[in-house]
Amino acid sequence: MSDTSLLRTEQLCKTYPDGQVNALVDVSLSIRRGEFVAIMGTSGCGKSTLLNLLGALDQPTSGEVYFEGQPLSAIANLDRFRAMKIGFVFQSFFLLPTLTALENVQVPMFEGPLTGRQRIARASELLELVGMSERARHRPGQLSVGQRQRVAIARALANDPVLLLADEPTGNLDSHTATAVLDLFAHLHHDKGMTLVLVTHGQEVAQRAERSIRMRDGRICTADSVSSAKPQAATS
Amino acid sequence: MPFYQFILKNVLQRKARSALTIIGVAIAVTAVVALVGIADGFQRSFRELYERRGVDLMVVRAGSSERLSSSIPQRVGEQIRSLPGVRDVSPGLMDVVSFEEANLTSVPLQGWAPESFLFGGLKMLSGRKLQKDDDRGVMLGMVLAKNLGKQTGDTLEIAGRSFMIVGVYESFNVFENGSAVLLLHSLQTIMDRPDQVTGFQVVLSDAPDKKVLLDRVRREIDELRSSSGQPWGIEAIPTEDYVKSTSQIRMAQAMAWTTSVIALVIGAIGVLNTMIMSVFERTWEIGILRAIGWRKSRVVRLILYESLLLSVIGAAAGILAAVALTHVLAWWPLVSGLIKGDVAPVVMIQGFFIALAVGLIGGAYPAYRGAHLLPTEALRHE
Repeated sequence: MSDTSLLRTEQLCKTYPDGQVNALVDVSLSIRRGEFVAIMGTSGCGKSTLLNLLGALDQPTSGEVYFEGQPLSAIANLDRFRAMKIGFVFQSFFLLPTLTALENVQVPMFEGPLTGRQRIARASELLELVGMSERARHRPGQLSVGQRQRVAIARALANDPVLLLADEPTGNLDSHTATAVLDLFAHLHHDKGMTLVLVTHGQEVAQRAERSIRMRDGRICTADSVSSAKPQAATS
Repeated sequence: MPFYQFILKNVLQRKARSALTIIGVAIAVTAVVALVGIADGFQRSFRELYERRGVDLMVVRAGSSERLSSSIPQRVGEQIRSLPGVRDVSPGLMDVVSFEEANLTSVPLQGWAPESFLFGGLKMLSGRKLQKDDDRGVMLGMVLAKNLGKQTGDTLEIAGRSFMIVGVYESFNVFENGSAVLLLHSLQTIMDRPDQVTGFQVVLSDAPDKKVLLDRVRREIDELRSSSGQPWGIEAIPTEDYVKSTSQIRMAQAMAWTTSVIALVIGAIGVLNTMIMSVFERTWEIGILRAIGWRKSRVVRLILYESLLLSVIGAAAGILAAVALTHVLAWWPLVSGLIKGDVAPVVMIQGFFIALAVGLIGGAYPAYRGAHLLPTEALRHE
């Protein structure tokens, strides 16, 4: 049987030993290449844990994550996998405070094949894409929160990843700035064909996705197709 | 942005902590380079004293740990002189005195025979050399004369007796520049050590195989006996071995290294403290680096290179401070006759590599800890 999904999970479980918390219980889902999926739920429902497992930041207690049909547990170098295949965007941006915007965007590129000059050119190009070329020489402390998130998105795109994972990317932003950031995601999805998985607890954010997956108590409870523009992927 | 620039920014951005760590390493390196450098200079100075005059063997009391106070009958010198292959022999008596009024302690007094070849290494700056009948005459090294504020023609009280300064000399050797020279029998009289010497300096004839000659003469000196057939209990030691085994030099080196090791341990703990704090404070930063795909080895390099950079800057500052310190000490009257004002390059290189070791040791655990942070846990530290 051929596997056409970009990302697929099979009966994914995650239990934290301290307190025996079942953060994820038998989560199986499939995400196609080029799809924009929102994972929704209240705080503590396991959506961030799921995102961490999808991005190989953590390992499941049982079950498996498949990326392009290959189980992550079979990948010898997960660091390189993360560096080259996945872009991360976090609620708190996590930009390095000592570096300028241009330098922050270059940080993931140390693991890639680009030379110093090529890294600068690529970082400049990405900052232009997110509308931050005017602020390239500014440090995070000199930027607004919206601008910081734009730089963080540029950093996530540094090694031209296949998949962008965003954990509450608008959680620290006001509504106006949040809309601008979501517009940027929509642009990456529609114009660049980027596969996006976005964790949020906001309905209005989830409405921008093609499909939303609702979670409760570590389980997937429903999967809704918000947009009919693209076919819905199978979920369990 | 090159990788080194990233490291440089991390170090420069935390100015106060980086500066304090650099100062800690610099103090440790200063202690090592200055103390070991002084002990090394002390040894070089002694070696130079004998080698520049072509002295091949030192004859001293066998098994004596404190050679300054050891005594050998002066007449043994004639027996040594008569051995085949011996070109010259100079008996010498050495003692130390203090000049309280000038706040000088442990000033070496040398007693030389009037015809000794040792006078040949001195250049007279004023006055003249000692002559056979200068029983109450003394020559001062230029550093000692300056420290005492004396010049040729002045009198100097030594061990309660008054001596006329017949001349002030400059020697090639810092140790001699801080010494006073009397005739051998004068020093024997004031120190109440009649017919006794501390040792003999022996110059051998030229030979195609100097080592064979040296070994033979050594053996023959060791076997010399008195007229009653009793062994003299003396031993002949090649100058290099003599210098290395001199108790004062060994003690100076032992003290230098002991103090240095303590300073280094403190320096390493300083670096360790800084780097562990740095890793702790930057837990989320390291977490994000790991999350976006940095290998563990790159995180290790980041922390170790930061630690090494601090150590290298500390080493450079410490070496400069040590060179300055030894120069200052060389001018200080209390020790100026004992300390050469230079530090051997090899000692500086030692100090540099020791600082690198301090940086590696101090950075190793923080680097390991940083590299093994789980990204998900590290990001919770934000």
